Amino acid sequence: MAEIKKCIVWDLDNTLWDGVCLEGKVKIKKGVHDIIAEMDRRGILHSIASRGDEELSLKILKENKLTDFFLVPQINWLPKSQSILKISKELELSLDAIAFIDDDEFEREQISYMLDDVLTIDAGRINEISDWKEFNPVNISKETKERRYFYQAEMKRKETRHSYKSREDFLLSCNLQLNIRQLLEEDIPRVLELMSRTHQLNSTGIIINGDELTNHLNNGQGKSEILVAELTDKFGWYGVIGTAMIVKEKPVWKLKYLSISCRVMGRGIERAFLAYLVKYAFNDGFEIIEAEFRDTGRNRMMRVLYQMAGLINNNKPDIYGNSVYSADTNNLPQTPKWIKML
Amino acid sequence: MKKNNYTIEAKLSEYIRNECLPKNKEYKLEYDKNLFDDGIIDSAGLITFITYIENEFNIVIPDEDLLPEYFTSLSVIAGYIRAHQKTGKNITTKIANG
Repeated sequence: MAEIKKCIVWDLDNTLWDGVCLEGKVKIKKGVHDIIAEMDRRGILHSIASRGDEELSLKILKENKLTDFFLVPQINWLPKSQSILKISKELELSLDAIAFIDDDEFEREQISYMLDDVLTIDAGRINEISDWKEFNPVNISKETKERRYFYQAEMKRKETRHSYKSREDFLLSCNLQLNIRQLLEEDIPRVLELMSRTHQLNSTGIIINGDELTNHLNNGQGKSEILVAELTDKFGWYGVIGTAMIVKEKPVWKLKYLSISCRVMGRGIERAFLAYLVKYAFNDGFEIIEAEFRDTGRNRMMRVLYQMAGLINNNKPDIYGNSVYSADTNNLPQTPKWIKML
Repeated sequence: MKKNNYTIEAKLSEYIRNECLPKNKEYKLEYDKNLFDDGIIDSAGLITFITYIENEFNIVIPDEDLLPEYFTSLSVIAGYIRAHQKTGKNITTKIANG
């Protein structure tokens, strides 16, 4: 189960507000506004799975200046498990990254039964959750605080893509720009966050602490390098979305770690990042370009990336049991044509 | 046999149309189009596509077979599925074992 929750799904009647909106006047529960804003600052998203009248409920949220906090709200008469599944799909979050708050024990039990990875919380405990470890990410970067806006921009992207003739036309129109550069001190919170939150496009699952990153910056690059990838498109700035760690010991250039945020999947960013790194090593005069891979049980996607980009599994695990992939210097990975490297 | 060949490509094409392409009926999806180079699919999309193929065609695709030579276009993937259905083994293992 994911330790840190990425999204809180709220029931409305007698949970977010006191009372039932179809039965009369309601009032936002004491402390709820502050909790929503604080979770938002911590990069935890909000959504709604509630039974009721959508138009009326949205009107109440608007009157209380809460509308913008909620992504893909599901206010309907469907079972809440269906609503949560839809939220999970729309936001591309796994169920174990979702918490659900409801005052009704039946609803909570139903979710526990149908979707047992979802953390269910009694609405009576709302004022406690700010202290729970599930809602306390260790690192809060500038990207964390902007997370809701990133998702809102992503909704716009999804709305526009259907108007294009082909997927390639859509991607070309997005003006995707990838800037790969050395780690800076201001990137450290974000890099730590990426290491702890990224599971699928993560080559080895290693976690380095903040002191080690600071130490790396203070003591020069030496044989190791840490690079970050920052992405922008016509819809906005994504911030740092990827990290790579390299160790260079001639003639071997080794990619020890690569992670790319799941938020930018579907754009070929992971191929562009890998292509850049391999080309960077090649141009730096290295004859042996390798990438480590450790199966964490959740990162099959990274193996697929390496293999489909033409890296070859040596089938000789290193002393730590990591698979080692080698780049074929006659067949280097290519950057997708819709991504501009800065 | 011809009908069977057609069915595999058509099924794969239907999946890609539904899951990965804009809802535009004019778009022509060639069976030999490179799905990666044209942005139709990426690493995440391939994982989901593999799951679909495994369920739809009742085969198991091991990680070591997820290679460009087997999974770049619909016609190549269909070829892999046919070979796999015949042998019941993954292709890499077959080659490695001679």
